[in-house]
Amino acid sequence: MRRGLGRTLARFALIFALSLAALAALWPYAASVYTSAVATVARPVFRLVEAPNATVLDVQGDELSVYRIVGEDRITPVVLFDRYLYFAVVPLLALFLATPGLGVRKRMTRTAFGLVGLFAFHVAYLVTSVELIYAVGPGHSVAGWQVAVRVLWEASPILLWAGLTAGAWKRALLNLRALGSEEAETSSTEPVGAVG
Amino acid sequence: MPRNWGQRIQRTIRADLLLRLALCACVVGLLLFAANAGGVSSAIQTGFGHIVAGILNLFGEDASIVGNTVQTERFGITVVTACTGLFLTGIFAAAVILFPATWRAKTLGLGLGVGGIFLLNVIRLVSLYYIGVYLPSILETAHLLVWQSVLIGAAVILWLVWAGTWGRTSCREATR
Repeated sequence: MRRGLGRTLARFALIFALSLAALAALWPYAASVYTSAVATVARPVFRLVEAPNATVLDVQGDELSVYRIVGEDRITPVVLFDRYLYFAVVPLLALFLATPGLGVRKRMTRTAFGLVGLFAFHVAYLVTSVELIYAVGPGHSVAGWQVAVRVLWEASPILLWAGLTAGAWKRALLNLRALGSEEAETSSTEPVGAVG
Repeated sequence: MPRNWGQRIQRTIRADLLLRLALCACVVGLLLFAANAGGVSSAIQTGFGHIVAGILNLFGEDASIVGNTVQTERFGITVVTACTGLFLTGIFAAAVILFPATWRAKTLGLGLGVGGIFLLNVIRLVSLYYIGVYLPSILETAHLLVWQSVLIGAAVILWLVWAGTWGRTSCREATR
C-alpha cells in the first residue's frame, strides 16, 4: 500500500473511531427523540398503506411497540423495537465526519442529505417490516422479502454514505495517484550512483 | 482509430458492466438463498459457534456447543444469521465486483473482504462473550451499537484499501 493512501486511511480510521466513541455515548440520549420522530412520520404512512388502518404505534422512551387492531377497542402486540433499531445514525455520522477532502459546508450539506435519506429509509423499514409480519400466514412465507429488507437495513448507511461521498473519495484517490506518479518521476530522474 | 474500433470498445465496456452487474445480482441472490435456506444458515451459525467455542476453550473457558449456542458455566451466546456477518460480506462482495478492476484483483479483494470480515466477526463474538461475563451492563450497547458500527467501518476501510491499492493499479492496467 502506498504511503499516501496509508496515511489517508489511517486518518480516516482514527477520526471514525473517535467519532463513533463520542456518538455511541450520546446515542442513548438522542434515541428517544429519533424514535418519536420516526413513529410520527410512520403513522400517516401506515394509514396510507392499510385499509382499514390496523397498526398502532406506541413510543415509550426509546422503545417502539407495534400493536395490531383486532377488534373494537382491542389490540394485540405485534413486535417491540428497541433503541438499537436506528443505530445506523451513529456509523453514518461517523463516516461523514471521517471522510477526507470535504470542506465544512459540503460536509454539513451531505451529512444533512444522508440523515434525511436514512430517516426516510427507517420509516420505510418500519412500515415494510410490520406489513411483512402481517403477510405471514399458514403456508405463506415471506422470509425472502424479510431477509431482503434486513439486508437493505444493514446496507443503508453504507449506501447513503458511498453515494454522497463517492466524488470526494475519487478526488482523494486521484490526488494520491498524481502524488505517486510525481514521486516516481522524481526518483527516476535522479542520477544513479551519484556521490554527494 | 477506425470508427468501428470505438464502437467495439464501447461494446466491450458495456459487456463488462453487464457481466459485473450479473455477477453482483448472483452474489445478492446467493446471499438471500444462504440466509433463507435453513440448512445453510444454520450450518454457518454452527460453524461460527464451533470456532468461538474453540477459541474460548483455548482461554480455559470449558465451552460447549448446543445447537448454535456457545455455552459455559458463566455465560452463553447464541449465534444467529445476523451475527455471522453474512449480509456485510455480501455487500462487500457486491462492491468489489462492481468496482472496475481486473478479475485477479477482484478475487484478491473478495478474499481480503471475506477473510477480514470473518476474522473480525470471530473477534467480535469472543469479545461479546467476555463483555457478557465481566461487563453485562454494556453488553447490549456493545453488541448492537458499537460492534455493528465497527464492522461497517472496518468493511469500508478494507474496501478502500483494496480499491486504493489493487483497484487503482488494475484500472491503469486495464487502460493500457
